[in-house]
Amino acid sequence: MIETRRMNLIQHLAHRFSLRQIAFLLILTFFLTSILFPFYWMISSSFKTQAEIGGRQPVYIPSAIRLDAYRELFDPSHPSFQNFGANIFNSLMVSIPTALIAVILSVLGAYAIARLKFKGKNLFLNGVLMVYLLPGVLLIIPLFSMLANIGDRMGFNVQDNLSVLIVTYLAQTLPVAMYMLTNYFRTIPDEIEQAALIDGCSRLGVIWRVTLPLAIPALVSVFIYTFMIAWNEFLYALVFLNSRELFTMPIKVNTIFNDPSPRPHVVMAASTIMTIPVVVLFLALERFLEEGLTAGGVKG
Amino acid sequence: MNQLSFISRWNALQAREARLAWLLLFPTALIVFGLIIFPAVFSVWISFHDVGLRNLNDVFHAPFAGWSNYTRVFQDFAFKYQGPTNWGAAVTSIVYSFSSTVLTVLIGLFAALLLNRPFIGRGMTRAIFLFPYVAPIVSVAFVWRWILDPRPSGVVNDLLMRLGVIELPLGYLSTRGLALLLVIIFEAWRYFPFAMLMILARLQAIDNTLYEAAEVDGANTWQKFSFITLPELRYVLGAIFLLRLMWTFNKFDDIFLLTGGGFGTKVLPVLTYEFSFRLFDFGRGAATAMTLLVLLIVFMLIYVRVVMRNVDEQ
Repeated sequence: MIETRRMNLIQHLAHRFSLRQIAFLLILTFFLTSILFPFYWMISSSFKTQAEIGGRQPVYIPSAIRLDAYRELFDPSHPSFQNFGANIFNSLMVSIPTALIAVILSVLGAYAIARLKFKGKNLFLNGVLMVYLLPGVLLIIPLFSMLANIGDRMGFNVQDNLSVLIVTYLAQTLPVAMYMLTNYFRTIPDEIEQAALIDGCSRLGVIWRVTLPLAIPALVSVFIYTFMIAWNEFLYALVFLNSRELFTMPIKVNTIFNDPSPRPHVVMAASTIMTIPVVVLFLALERFLEEGLTAGGVKG
Repeated sequence: MNQLSFISRWNALQAREARLAWLLLFPTALIVFGLIIFPAVFSVWISFHDVGLRNLNDVFHAPFAGWSNYTRVFQDFAFKYQGPTNWGAAVTSIVYSFSSTVLTVLIGLFAALLLNRPFIGRGMTRAIFLFPYVAPIVSVAFVWRWILDPRPSGVVNDLLMRLGVIELPLGYLSTRGLALLLVIIFEAWRYFPFAMLMILARLQAIDNTLYEAAEVDGANTWQKFSFITLPELRYVLGAIFLLRLMWTFNKFDDIFLLTGGGFGTKVLPVLTYEFSFRLFDFGRGAATAMTLLVLLIVFMLIYVRVVMRNVDEQ
């Protein structure tokens, strides 16, 4: 009886879906599982207790949502309080200025390249695109010694200085940001701007009143792109930051991970906090961002 | 007379426009040249000098070292090939970046073909497919380390032991060979969305009448793929391969976070970091980085000469 019902189910399935559709569904499921499982594991591990984390066998579904890991990150009364709030603050203090300055500077630069005629334009563009070729580890050595020298003369410290980080992130993101915006500005018809110029608007007036309002989607995607680069960046922050109070989130997570007593649930909680804003931002603005990603060939 | 004054006014206008252009570009130019072009040149200089922590503040008077930084790098056991069990950073880098780039492009192509057909929930699936690429590297690297945990409580160990594939838990990222393989797979997992996006954009631009014509001629799916889709994608595949290879070759974070460069996964960027910021021998670090750059440039020249030219001809 059961046998025939099962047969019927399979026949039913075979009747409804072709072999090709079943293969398609299987492959799609494989892709989705291998992509989503790590994210599920990150979030679910962050809600486990030390006992669930350290047991003989992995706990696939936490028994309850326990905030132990989050308490260690945020609750000052916890014995190994991590003060993660300060790290979130530092990450924001680096990412938001980087994104804002990058948008402003790349608007100016991209406008010049898309609209104005001048000698040396191609040389400039090629020079800027060299960034694609140069490894971050190659640049960090001269940057470190250069900035140490300049810092000595001008009386600022290179290490533990968030503004230094902002400037280096700008150097990494400006070329791509400018490239993305230049492509966008070229799609805005020149005639609109010409009309404004004839009406007596100055060039900067044209940028402010005509070009910018039309380019808002591109501006948003440049902002998010640079924000994400600064938010995720690891190497420069690792080299330039020494004091725990000034760590950005990625460096702090690395420190917690390398702590002599392993606490994966805390690492996963911190990772969750770091990942969710980026993924949510991305989902919310996916349409704009994809265009930017494909147009600029975003470095990553 | 009138015309002449018009021309001179026109020239003045053009000069003003050029001045404005440079004014607008100035901040970007200052940052890019000051923090990228100049440091790049300066790092050539450092690679020929003896620069360490003690003379970092007075780096411009560092003693000249000739080629000694380079010879020290080339003779370093971590750098050079020492037989099939110990590849050294140069060979490891090449193997690692080529295999992970090929795998990334293949999976990206596969995923793009998968998502190119309409089905319910395609938009959402597409967005989910991009997650590995947008999530912070630190988070995803540590999740994978936690999934591949060497203790029996690691997910992969638990699953494989339940299935009876292995009897004792394995230290995946601390076993030579296996570690490199897993790092390559991780790269493909993280970066295939980039390839997928670029390929999808190109796929959607292919003229549909080509497929219709092929169908009339009785072509099957495979023939349509290999005679229409692949040739149409050739250029974009070549470009993605080059970009990804370049970035993977230069990549530091991924391997540093996954294995710390141990167990046969030491690549040139990690070696550069170790020379510079563990041993604080900046000269040697810069020499390693320059070797990396030279290898990359040589490869790119060959690639652009041979592969891209073939693409153009066809």
